[in-house]
Amino acid sequence: MIAAAAFAQSEPAVTFPIVIGHAVAVQADSGGVTRDVVSRPVALPDHWENTRPGYSGEVRYRSAFLLDGPALSGDLLALYVERACNNMQVQLNGHLIFSGGRMTEPVTRNCGEPQFISLPSALLAIGPNVLDIRVVGYALQRVGTVQSEGGLSALEIAPRYALTRAHARQSFWSVAWPSATGFGLIGIGFVLLAVGWLNRHEVYFLYLGLLCLSWVALSIAMSAHDFPWHNDVTEFMIASAWAILISLAVQFFLSFAGVRSRNIESLVAMQWVLVPLSLILAGPERRFMVSRGWFSLFACELVVAMSIYIRVAGRRQTRDVGAVAVLLAVGTVTLCFELAVQWQLVAAPSVSAASVFAPLMLAALGASLFLLFARAFRDITADRNRVRDELNRIKATLENRVESLTAQRVGQFTELERRRIASDLHDDLGAKLLTIVHTVDASRFPHLAREALEEMRLSVRGLAGKAVRLDDAIADWRAEIVGRLEQAGIAARWDFVDTVDSPVLSARSFMQLTRILRESISNVIKHSGARNCRIECVLVNDRLQVGVVDDGRGLVHDMNRGQGMAGMKRRAKRLNGQCLVESSPGGGVGIWLSVPL
Amino acid sequence: MPKILLLEDIVEAGAWLKLQIAQVFPEVTFVDTSRVHEALARIRNEQFDFALIDLGLPDGSGVDVVAGLRELQPDAQSVVVTIHDDDDHLFPALQAGAFGYLLKDQPAPVLVDQFRRMSQGEPPLSPAIARRVMSHFASRTSQRERPTHMPAVVLSDRENEVLLRVAKGFTLPEIASQLNLSRHTIADYVKQIYRKLNVSSRAEAALEAQRLGLFGRGRRAQPEAL
Repeated sequence: MIAAAAFAQSEPAVTFPIVIGHAVAVQADSGGVTRDVVSRPVALPDHWENTRPGYSGEVRYRSAFLLDGPALSGDLLALYVERACNNMQVQLNGHLIFSGGRMTEPVTRNCGEPQFISLPSALLAIGPNVLDIRVVGYALQRVGTVQSEGGLSALEIAPRYALTRAHARQSFWSVAWPSATGFGLIGIGFVLLAVGWLNRHEVYFLYLGLLCLSWVALSIAMSAHDFPWHNDVTEFMIASAWAILISLAVQFFLSFAGVRSRNIESLVAMQWVLVPLSLILAGPERRFMVSRGWFSLFACELVVAMSIYIRVAGRRQTRDVGAVAVLLAVGTVTLCFELAVQWQLVAAPSVSAASVFAPLMLAALGASLFLLFARAFRDITADRNRVRDELNRIKATLENRVESLTAQRVGQFTELERRRIASDLHDDLGAKLLTIVHTVDASRFPHLAREALEEMRLSVRGLAGKAVRLDDAIADWRAEIVGRLEQAGIAARWDFVDTVDSPVLSARSFMQLTRILRESISNVIKHSGARNCRIECVLVNDRLQVGVVDDGRGLVHDMNRGQGMAGMKRRAKRLNGQCLVESSPGGGVGIWLSVPL
Repeated sequence: MPKILLLEDIVEAGAWLKLQIAQVFPEVTFVDTSRVHEALARIRNEQFDFALIDLGLPDGSGVDVVAGLRELQPDAQSVVVTIHDDDDHLFPALQAGAFGYLLKDQPAPVLVDQFRRMSQGEPPLSPAIARRVMSHFASRTSQRERPTHMPAVVLSDRENEVLLRVAKGFTLPEIASQLNLSRHTIADYVKQIYRKLNVSSRAEAALEAQRLGLFGRGRRAQPEAL
């Protein structure tokens, strides 16, 4: 009866390819016992949601095809089955010619893989040939995606080489494309991770890197054939894994747009728990419903994230906004199409749109990030060089400035010193020599010359000498003054309080003070007629105060002495100090010096 | 009758000096030299009681003559005569063994008085010189090393006291009354101080020479260049 039905459909002469669009199907359990005795004719491709909704298990299809002599003795023939979900076994005229793997739990997953099955000519006969195909699959409601529901596609018989050539494109997109892009994405993913790890501030690198790697992992999982556990578990895991993937994608777009929100992050992370939980709670029979619901939500999240990104990028007017917008538009279209497939508004294509476009999008996004990075790096390097050059320039300018300032300062000091030297020599030595020139009294020559020599000695010491501690200076003065007074028969009294921390007199100050003191003592010895002379040295607030007081006849109009006083006052002023003279006729003379140290 | 070596290159200054010295020693023989090498030759051949040595000479420093005299004729007293009264010029001469110093441009009576005192055994000591001497001996005691064949030179407590007071500016009579000693005793202390300064300076020079390897164990002495 079956043969007759099949025979009635065939053509008088056999041409290839032979497409078998009908079969007789019977549900059976794994033991081989048929559940319902009545076998029903079905059209191929057969989707169990249409013909036997809610059924999970094994279905047997029987169909036949006609071969004539030339067909048989021609090229090697093959059977092309585009889709048998989850797994199938094929018998030709009662002989097993193909087995895709395990037909009982855990069932081998061969949903996405088209099969080319050679038909050995020894088993073929002229006339009708019977194909028995056992398909094991699951009801749509038990799986996660439409692409995993049980079913069988149409059958095609033709010479093998013709089949492979005809379906090369299908093979390419199902096998070669995912592998190639998989390798590429692994590489891109790791590089993105590395860059993201080094620049943890730019967290979107990490997200995209993880997204790439997760995509590859998920693709591998979805195309893997054998798992050690029940198919339900695999479907559950894949559905849960999508949650992770989508959350990574959403986080990527948001962080790339610069939107960081704790709330969004925690909501997205909660999905990791909610999705598996809901699937478990819903039970295996409602899996598809729950999955589809979640997928719709994921799609919305992703579209929202992408639009946020475009809006932010557009506002910031980053350079590649146009290209990225196109990219994201393509992505959105793909998403919508995939959603339509899941909601069964559109028939599932033999190759899923997502598996074609998603790798491209990820690669493109990765490339744009690299470009961004490269540009930023180039800009930073340029900036750094510019800053460095600027710094060098500033440094050179500063060095020049300091040098010229120092030279100026040195020049100023030298100039000051020179002027001081000139003025000292002019005033002290010059004045003395001038008196020699002008003196009429020849007998005064030795005395005046001696004084000139003394001035010269003092000047030289004042210019080239070292600084003198106050203690030492006072000791020198004391020795000289007390000695001179004693020799002149004047009783000397010296009052000085030792200081703990002796300040220092410059050589010039020491010399000028020595001159002043010598002059005043000479006056006491020569003109005062005193019996006693008291010298007092006090240090008050960084000022040295010296007093020379005698008990002689006081200042009477003495020209020489008057001139001497003027000289002392002048010298004191040159030291930024002052010299006061007190006198009363018959009351002695007191000379008070006050000089800052 | 004392024999005095005079080393002075300015004729007028030399003549004037001789005039003043004659007031202290009416009968005196002068030997005039005007160059360092001349004086060195003289002290090798003749004995002197005093030497009046100018520091600034065209062919060298009078300090070399002071040192030569100290070595060849330790009993002779060399007096340095100079314009400069600062310790930078005088100290090296004292270290070389000078007995005292005179300042050239002082009034005649002052010079005579100073020289008389020196001839009576009272060398001059100014506060500045005293400070230099103290710092010299202070750095000496902090050094551990010295040539083993040279004796250690250290000032006695008394000498240190005298030095300290001079450095503070007290005159000799004042110090004498402060320490309850005679002026002559204080002057003796000053002489001792100068002598020790000379010895200590020579020891330092010998140490330096040893370090430079000029003489020492197992090394032949350099033949003297003449």
